[in-house]
Amino acid sequence: MQKSLKTTLVAAAVGALLATSVSAEEEKVLNVYNWSDYIAEDTIANFEKETGIKVNYDVFDSNEVLEAKLLAGGSGYDIVVPSGSFMERQIQAGIFRKLDKDKLKNYGNLDKTILEGVSLHDPGNEHAIPYMWGTTGFGYNVKKVEEIMPGAPVDSWDLMFNPDVVAKFKDCGVTFLDAPTEALSNVLGYLGRDPNSNEKEDLAAFEEHMLKIRPYIKYFHSSQNINDLANGEICVAMGWSGDMLIARDRADEAEQGVEIAYTIPKEGAVIWFDMMAIPSDAPHPENAHKFLDYIMEPQVVADISNYVFYANANTAATEYVEGEVKEDPGIYPSDEVKAKLFPDLAEDPKFTRQLTRSWTRIKTGQ
Amino acid sequence: MSRKAYITLGDRITAATDLVSQSSWWGQIQTWVEVLLTRLGLRGQGLVVAIPYLWLLLFFLIPFAFVLKISLAEAVIARPPYTALIEWTEDAFIDIKLNIANYLFLLQDDLYWKAYLNSVKVALISTAVCLFIGYPMAYSMARANPAWRNVLLMLVILPFWTSFLLRVYAWIGILKNNGVINNILLAFGIIDEPIVMMQTNFAVYVGIVYSYLPFMILPLYANLERLDNTLLEAAADLGCRPIKAFFSITLPLSIPGIIAGSLLVFIPAVGEFVIPALLGGPDTLMIGRVLWDEFFANRDWPVASAVAIAILLLLIIPIMVFQRFQAKEAEAGTA
Amino acid sequence: MAEAHEVDKRLDPWNDPHATPYIRIQNVTKKFGDFTAVNNVSLDIYKNELFCLLGGSGCGKSTLLRMLAGFETPTVGTIYIDDVDMGSIAPYDRPVNMMFQSYALFPHMTVENNIAFGLKQDKEPAAEITKRVADMLELVQLTPFAKRKPHQLSGGQRQRVALARALVKKPKVLLLDEPLGALDKKLREETQFELVNIQEETGVTFIVVTHDQSEAMTLSSRIGVMNEGQIVQTGTPTEIYEYPNSRFVADFIGSVNIFEGRIIEDDPDHVRIESDEAGCPLYIDHGVTASPGARVWVAVRPEKIQLSRDKPNGEDNCTIGTIEEIAYMGDLSIYRVELDTGKRVRVTMPNLVRGTSDRYTWDERIHLSWQASNAVVLMT
Repeated sequence: MQKSLKTTLVAAAVGALLATSVSAEEEKVLNVYNWSDYIAEDTIANFEKETGIKVNYDVFDSNEVLEAKLLAGGSGYDIVVPSGSFMERQIQAGIFRKLDKDKLKNYGNLDKTILEGVSLHDPGNEHAIPYMWGTTGFGYNVKKVEEIMPGAPVDSWDLMFNPDVVAKFKDCGVTFLDAPTEALSNVLGYLGRDPNSNEKEDLAAFEEHMLKIRPYIKYFHSSQNINDLANGEICVAMGWSGDMLIARDRADEAEQGVEIAYTIPKEGAVIWFDMMAIPSDAPHPENAHKFLDYIMEPQVVADISNYVFYANANTAATEYVEGEVKEDPGIYPSDEVKAKLFPDLAEDPKFTRQLTRSWTRIKTGQ
Repeated sequence: MSRKAYITLGDRITAATDLVSQSSWWGQIQTWVEVLLTRLGLRGQGLVVAIPYLWLLLFFLIPFAFVLKISLAEAVIARPPYTALIEWTEDAFIDIKLNIANYLFLLQDDLYWKAYLNSVKVALISTAVCLFIGYPMAYSMARANPAWRNVLLMLVILPFWTSFLLRVYAWIGILKNNGVINNILLAFGIIDEPIVMMQTNFAVYVGIVYSYLPFMILPLYANLERLDNTLLEAAADLGCRPIKAFFSITLPLSIPGIIAGSLLVFIPAVGEFVIPALLGGPDTLMIGRVLWDEFFANRDWPVASAVAIAILLLLIIPIMVFQRFQAKEAEAGTA
Repeated sequence: MAEAHEVDKRLDPWNDPHATPYIRIQNVTKKFGDFTAVNNVSLDIYKNELFCLLGGSGCGKSTLLRMLAGFETPTVGTIYIDDVDMGSIAPYDRPVNMMFQSYALFPHMTVENNIAFGLKQDKEPAAEITKRVADMLELVQLTPFAKRKPHQLSGGQRQRVALARALVKKPKVLLLDEPLGALDKKLREETQFELVNIQEETGVTFIVVTHDQSEAMTLSSRIGVMNEGQIVQTGTPTEIYEYPNSRFVADFIGSVNIFEGRIIEDDPDHVRIESDEAGCPLYIDHGVTASPGARVWVAVRPEKIQLSRDKPNGEDNCTIGTIEEIAYMGDLSIYRVELDTGKRVRVTMPNLVRGTSDRYTWDERIHLSWQASNAVVLMT
């Protein structure tokens, strides 16, 4: 990289400015950008009470929207919550500030195994802390699946990925997430290949397999499956653990006799992490660190898990998590199941393009 | 000559506003803006003429220039995720790199072309359906008792008071397997099995036609309402039956309304993303989705921008045709 | 009433008891909600007539015309054209054509196609259409403009296209709604005569609606004066002007001086009327069907009154006043005279000699008089 003198000078000047602004007392404001419905009702209020920092809390509902804002720059947010694979690329783009771990006294509470998994996205865990995590398995309509195929392999990806099996559920409705990277990892894992392969050959195998089951897939969508599953519109849906559990609860509430269950297939599935990070252009990095540290307090994050039904990554918090949540294998899987989970790592841009193209071909036949 | 008159008028207005707002902050700003505009040679008449151009510049040309710029860059993993076009080289020369690879790329893969053609097809069919449904509606509105017209007009506009997204979602509830239509048909024993309507092209057409119908009706109504009724009386008087009079008088005279309505439906329908995403099946390939994929899935802002520019250029053609038509009509004086 | 009109009774169809009317309007009433636009009108119009319906705005003349065209249906009554009841016949099947006040030319068609439109509806052979359109264009002198669109024409040219379009189908009756209304004054006067010529040339029966009394006078064979939905008088221009049957008609057509009075002597060949307004006994040489003592009005047109410095002979129809105002119009002068009774009278006199120094002048005492045959007695 060649830089002109001018750029260097400007960089130096900006650096000097930043230095002065950091040393000055930060205003008591924090701008948080989190997923919708992803925090306990009183978390923010409690934080404000404890620290006197006024929080501007804003929500998004897709990684892509968050990423577009971050890539455009100047978002003004101090805390953002991207998923692991998205964060991985965003780190490469230089979007996040390195954490000052001296300011995070609760850091030690974090689950070492999960930190290790996360380090595949963020080497050395330098840029972010894991907030919540979950899996990408499938939800299904218990009664209908049993009715159509008694003894169906509801613990296995066979239910979705085995052409002979999935064919039976075509009319009942089988749906996929419109998330090519997660489909790729799950299918490659099912085929006994490297779930995070960037090889053309593996992509070809993926596409070939997908085309076999494509005729039985009703749609590819990442949020519609919740309602459709809950009201019996569809039978089997690849989905994110939290969403499938929401579908289960909605079905229960509706009392229409629909019963939904969530499976982390025995072949293994994608584990994903939602990470809290501080953008490099965050206006209030000090306050952001305070917020991260607050979130890592066991009681605080346990309250959040109890509210949102997602597993947190805080070992010290587990004792405060309610049994209903803690004992749900869909939320807190056994160590045996956990061992089979694999992260969905970011692909290189060239492979991403090929995957997107392949995904379009799978979906549309074009 | 006339320009001078305008300037005097402008001066008078300035003098008047000076009196009103002397020493107020607003006056300060006015004086400041005035000095600036005068420097730019924009005063009086010039200013009036400049307003639409400023509007166009601010809300079309500048964003367009941004997108065009990005489309000529290369994708990188950085913030922003594309290279700069203009760089200072070591010896303080400006280095401009224009990269047309993104456009060439669009030509290599027939996906873009197919997606565009399919979008055009969907948009054309939707426009035609909107026209067939919208014309009789606009016609009967224009022929309705004047007291009723405003009520009818209100009813056409009413859906806009609800979020577009909510209305599309409502269609899911109507069209799905255990939705309103299927439940009614099943209850009356007309069908035994639900008719699959969701995630089909049919649902996409329903969604687009429903959403854009008002954009067809309103310009048509405006046109038909202005239609001089004595022309139809004249036609009847000359021995022309009502149906024939419609085709030889009403229809030809409503062509500007038809074109305006059709463009208002066609253009947004081509780039439609939300409706196919919510109602369409996985095999509904539209350019809006391809653009989304480029931007969000591939994170390739330059190619995404190139797609956007290409759509824009392809859409400008029908607009220009319409412009020419209007210019011709204006020249003919009947527009 | 007027039994002793001295009118030149030519063999006009309306005076011929054996003639059959071409258009018969019988007891036609048209109501729009509570409003009665046309009130029990009966009217016969004969072939080849150029009949004017004259009246102010809102008098019902246009509604009557629209009922003839079929755009409105009578609430009560019947209309016959050439002995056919029009009641159930749609506008597009009627043997009438209309020239609209706005002309209603089809803006998207050329002059040629506008004129051919009606013929095409009748599925006439193409050659026949071409020929008749060409003939029509020639008649209205628009041949060079055949390919133009209406907006490329002047007002007068458009008017002629409208006329040609309405005439080309050779209708039994041509209805013209204010045909000259949109033209400026000079053009209007020229076109009046053109219209009459064309009517004579084509022999089509014209029914013209107008609010312009001078236009009605120039064009018509007969005039029907309408007021408040009714026809108040029908007659030739001369009859209407010289023998109005009511104060309304007298006042509507031209100017008139009206003296209120009481009948004191009623004979078959004359009446004598006493009028405080006139300031002298009034003697009129036609009889009226009214008893002595009845309240009547005597109408005298301004040009029928003589002015003189010396008192004329006799007492009847002779009064005195002071000249209040004089308007010199070139061909004639208008005098406003205040009678000694306080009544103001309008008198016009032609300026027969140039540069006379002996004109009547302001504030001059002056005698006014008129012939017994030049006044009309009005009962209403």
